[in-house]
Amino acid sequence: MTVTYEGVPGLIETVEAHAETTLVVDTARVVEACTHLRDEQGFNFLSDVTPTDYLGWGARGVSGYIGTAAGRDMHGPGTQGLGRVPDPKPKRFAVNYHLLRLADDPVRVRVQAWLDDGEAIDTVIPVWPTADWFEREAWDMFGIVFRGHPNLARILMEDDWDGHPLRKDYPIGGEPVRFSGEE
Amino acid sequence: MRKLPLISDRPLAKAGLNSERVLMPNKGPGVFEEEIDGIEDALGITTVEKAVAWAQSNSMWPDTFGLACCAIEMMSIVSSRYDISRFGMERFSSSPRQADLLIVSGRVTHKMAAPLRQVYDQMLEPKWVIAMGACASSGGMFNNYTVLQGVDKIVPVDVHVPGCPPRPEALMEGIVRLHEKIMAGIPPAYQLRGVAQ
Amino acid sequence: MSVVERVTKVYEGSRIPSPIPTVLQVDTQKHALDDILTINFGPNHPSTHGVLRLVVDLDGELVAGVSAVIGYLHTGFEKTMEQKTWWKCITYPERIDYVSFQVNELAFVLAIEKLLEIEVPQKATWMRMCLSELTRIHSHLVWLGTSALELGAISMFWYTFDDRDATLDLFEMVCGTRMHTRYFQAGGLAEDIPEGFYEQARQWCKKMPKAIDEYEAILDRNAIWLKRTKGIGLLSADDAIALGQSGPVLRASGVNWDLRKNMPYLAYDEVSFDVPVFPEGDVYARYRVHLEEMRESVRIVAQCIDRLAEMRGEPWIADDRKVVLPPREELHTSMESLIHHFKIVTEGYMVPEGEVYQCVESPRGEFGVYVVSDGGPKPWRVKFRAPSFVALQATATCMTDAAIADMIAIVGSLDGVMGEVDR
Repeated sequence: MTVTYEGVPGLIETVEAHAETTLVVDTARVVEACTHLRDEQGFNFLSDVTPTDYLGWGARGVSGYIGTAAGRDMHGPGTQGLGRVPDPKPKRFAVNYHLLRLADDPVRVRVQAWLDDGEAIDTVIPVWPTADWFEREAWDMFGIVFRGHPNLARILMEDDWDGHPLRKDYPIGGEPVRFSGEE
Repeated sequence: MRKLPLISDRPLAKAGLNSERVLMPNKGPGVFEEEIDGIEDALGITTVEKAVAWAQSNSMWPDTFGLACCAIEMMSIVSSRYDISRFGMERFSSSPRQADLLIVSGRVTHKMAAPLRQVYDQMLEPKWVIAMGACASSGGMFNNYTVLQGVDKIVPVDVHVPGCPPRPEALMEGIVRLHEKIMAGIPPAYQLRGVAQ
Repeated sequence: MSVVERVTKVYEGSRIPSPIPTVLQVDTQKHALDDILTINFGPNHPSTHGVLRLVVDLDGELVAGVSAVIGYLHTGFEKTMEQKTWWKCITYPERIDYVSFQVNELAFVLAIEKLLEIEVPQKATWMRMCLSELTRIHSHLVWLGTSALELGAISMFWYTFDDRDATLDLFEMVCGTRMHTRYFQAGGLAEDIPEGFYEQARQWCKKMPKAIDEYEAILDRNAIWLKRTKGIGLLSADDAIALGQSGPVLRASGVNWDLRKNMPYLAYDEVSFDVPVFPEGDVYARYRVHLEEMRESVRIVAQCIDRLAEMRGEPWIADDRKVVLPPREELHTSMESLIHHFKIVTEGYMVPEGEVYQCVESPRGEFGVYVVSDGGPKPWRVKFRAPSFVALQATATCMTDAAIADMIAIVGSLDGVMGEVDR
């Protein structure tokens, strides 16, 4: 059964790269799109729900000088620059759904929805129950609210933790390493 | 006649323990204790402390506190090639009440720090702690918001075993050194120092 | 054999709890609330395979409600890897699923190579396959030993760990260390394969099938083992797919899905092996899948050794000097090599901009890595799709009508490694 992405509701763009297909869909119609893909195109398996924070994307500047406008990164060696500044992204957060058609002719696809800070997205638990913990982790690590999630609570951090650790403006934490030669 | 250290000298009194010895601080050693004292000097046998140290080090029961990768190498030391039974330590006790040794094997996160301290507190004195691996000793390769930079921040540690993960032989070396420490009469870590800052 | 050929209906309908799919809530029709005792299993517990905490509502011996609390081993891998260069990052994925470490490395390295579009020599591909299968056997041995230990078959632990030590000897010979070997690089392998490896691996291949027969003989005729595993922890194929299960749990529910056969990577389409599938969907079926998989992995290793022995002397890493360190002898004579060495060691190699999702068949199921690169020396985002994270979501479904002793068997059979779950 060949797969076609023409009828996916809310489809904005289809990107093909590295032998992978990414379907960018409208955030408000994510559940419709996922239901269509599961029922019409046979994507019965949800592998992963992954948010990405693009705050600071492309801010490193072009290679050739040491450090960035914000100062020198203590964790980083050498230059911080890139060969080419990457294209800007539409919004701050991207929520990626990795789908698989588990059948004799398997197909993988990625559904991508873009969000700003503070925007909410609908939960896909009604489509694939396995999304439960993935969405909880997305809330815990990024602060993305999933409307309709029955149990949106902290999962990896403590229940009373402040902040969302994987956001780009959250510090890495830890302790400064003291070298005995310095003292 | 040697005076045994009184319980009132030790922190238990401060903790509110009202035992006979606390209520009667001038109560000296009993008749039996004085007899034993004399016998040891008369026959030239090993002191009670040395005998106790020998018993403690040769049948120490570790607590099953395997957290991550180091736990797999700790299980490996139980296996037949790197036999831990030769030290009398094959009886891993899941209940901390019956354990003598806490081998913290693996990275300790802030979330896990509270259960770890609780398990340590539930162990009865005398108790020892081995921080196995780089993560338990100092946070290892993880210097971030969630990993405790060394388990000695919450429990006093006797022996640190480096490695990522340490080979079973390395852990054995740590255990042997701990036994040597006990035999030499060095008290457990909680009597010597507190936790790191 | 088609993907859904051996599926039989283990039970009617779906047992996934509602409204929260991962929490079994007390059914007040069947259990009076006064009879319920809520207890805490773990995080420090001998039978929970690491730091898993299960909050269990018990009605006598029956499990009326269960919910899993995780996060006690959350190490912040993903955020830490955003701070390290690509080369230094390769040490991190190994510690995620610390029982099948080389498979995690493989997934990450394959993802980098996909973005770099670099060609990996045949020798490296076959050696990676050989080590992946050895890692699969290592993981199944640890699983078998610890699961049997938890169910009371204590002596299995010593049998399986002895063979595990023999497997780790092979790793040590090739990679220099028993666990967390860091042998795969972007472009191939870190070093050439030592000469004595082929002979020792052949000896191991002769010894392993007898060992696996021994395990089967110990457990399969043991009435207690059969009673404690047959019919326990049922999971139907539809529920398994809806819950995202993969690997042995899925194959024990009758779905013939193995990434090595259905979506081959490395050179899995050039070796012959079978995929064991059992339709019963219980703990016993998962145990059988693990056991048969070990036998198939030994077959694959034997074929890899034969093929690798023919490839002696061939290059083991790609020739792209922008990514791979040049050989040390060249540094004395070639200025360009020195510059490449310097740039790669200090700054790290640059991976072109893009995002990929690379998955491999880990011993627990589909281990996926989602990598986003901005063209720089460090990753922008790395996400690990851990199969145990998903498998633990199925505990509530499998736990219908289970007693507390069955709970141990079920959690063990789902083969969760907490390092993976919490990352």
